Amino acid sequence: MNLLLLKSINFNTLLIVIAVVAVISIVFAVLIVLVSKLCLVKTDERADAVASHLAGANCGGCGYAGCSDFAKALVEGKASLSCCGATSNEDKQEISAILGIPFDAEEKKLAVVRCAGGVNALDKFQYVGNEGCFAQSLLQGGSKVCSTACLGGGSCKAICTNHAISLKEGVAVVDRSICGSCGACVIACPKNLVELIPASAKVYVACATKCKGKDVMGACKVGCIGCGLCAKNCPNGAISMVDNIAVIDYSKCSGCKICVSKCPRKCIKEF
Amino acid sequence: MAEFIMIIVSAVFINNFVVVQFLGICPFLGVSKDFKSALGMGLAVTFVMTITCLITYPIYVYVLTPLKIEFLEIIVFIFVIASIVQMIEMALKKFSPSLYNAMGIYLPLITTNCAVLGVAELVIDEAQMISLLGISSMNMGVAVLYGLFAGLGFTLAIVIMSGLREKITRLPINKHLKGFPIAMIAACFIAMAFFVFSV
Repeated sequence: MNLLLLKSINFNTLLIVIAVVAVISIVFAVLIVLVSKLCLVKTDERADAVASHLAGANCGGCGYAGCSDFAKALVEGKASLSCCGATSNEDKQEISAILGIPFDAEEKKLAVVRCAGGVNALDKFQYVGNEGCFAQSLLQGGSKVCSTACLGGGSCKAICTNHAISLKEGVAVVDRSICGSCGACVIACPKNLVELIPASAKVYVACATKCKGKDVMGACKVGCIGCGLCAKNCPNGAISMVDNIAVIDYSKCSGCKICVSKCPRKCIKEF
Repeated sequence: MAEFIMIIVSAVFINNFVVVQFLGICPFLGVSKDFKSALGMGLAVTFVMTITCLITYPIYVYVLTPLKIEFLEIIVFIFVIASIVQMIEMALKKFSPSLYNAMGIYLPLITTNCAVLGVAELVIDEAQMISLLGISSMNMGVAVLYGLFAGLGFTLAIVIMSGLREKITRLPINKHLKGFPIAMIAACFIAMAFFVFSV
């Protein structure tokens, strides 16, 4: 049987086949080597070293396409380390050692949604269509009467790589225990409602309106009316009224939560 | 001139590689999510198809046929295509990093894109080409032109698909149809539109 198989092979053809394939492969091998020599791209090996110290979340919070893109920008001096919220301070320290750029350790910041509206905020009209927040905000600034209300479209939820954001009663809520502090949701929100505040913060203002109290009364049950009760009662003077809304200075806040109990609209919330 | 127009109409519309012959479905569905990368992918395939025809046709006619080893065609063609894609990848990395990044994994995938091997196999099939184009005999020029316009036909199909998919993502669609299923349905309608040419 084996002998029969051997006899059926035409050795002339076999030799030709081997020769042709060999010639073609050598020609293309030489061509590929030539092209690779011609098109050699010099890469900065520091970029790889920097990328190995980054968080590798590829969250897009820094505004670049991914961690390797951000590393490249760091090496070229186009970006600063503070753009990245996901990388730990130790890793940032090592990156600053590699690149020789200054770095000040700062406290980890976590995202919070500055709105408690949802079902408590009144509707201007009933919206039917694409659920994305950006698309919703294009039509008269969204379906809520309040111009700074969470639209509940879940754009921040969709972009979060840690799945830390959920929608509760029409409002996005950040689970701060799993927030990666990348800041991608800050960019995603068309209403600029998501803010990064220090991880040690005990309270936050769950409203972002700059309207006068009377207008807020007509638009939302839980909006800040700018009464200033929290600012008056804060023992540390950490709360100030800016543009009709309470603003907390977290460097002064002691976490006593008096403001939470004093707020008549219950829009200062504790974590 | 009539031959030239026949090549264009045949390669781009009547025998469109994606939606009529169903070759190269992988990049057609994989890279058609946005217009920009779809166009980049289409042009890359066009380029590879043209160069492939330019190299494989003479290899077949002047090397494989005289030596009576036509059975080697698939091995040799795959070999040529892989080498060309490798070279294009290196050239792109050097001269257009943004396009290189945009194409990502799909550029090496052109190697195994059956549309490219399909066009190389089609242009060497003289009887088939003569009946398709109504020409008297095949030559190098027709082969290269057919490769070029087959690639442009691929580009046309993938660009139409990307435009449709960009619109579809903004529509309120039943969640069971969202994403891939609705893309398949859209592809079906594009194919039906192209079939008008071949009736």
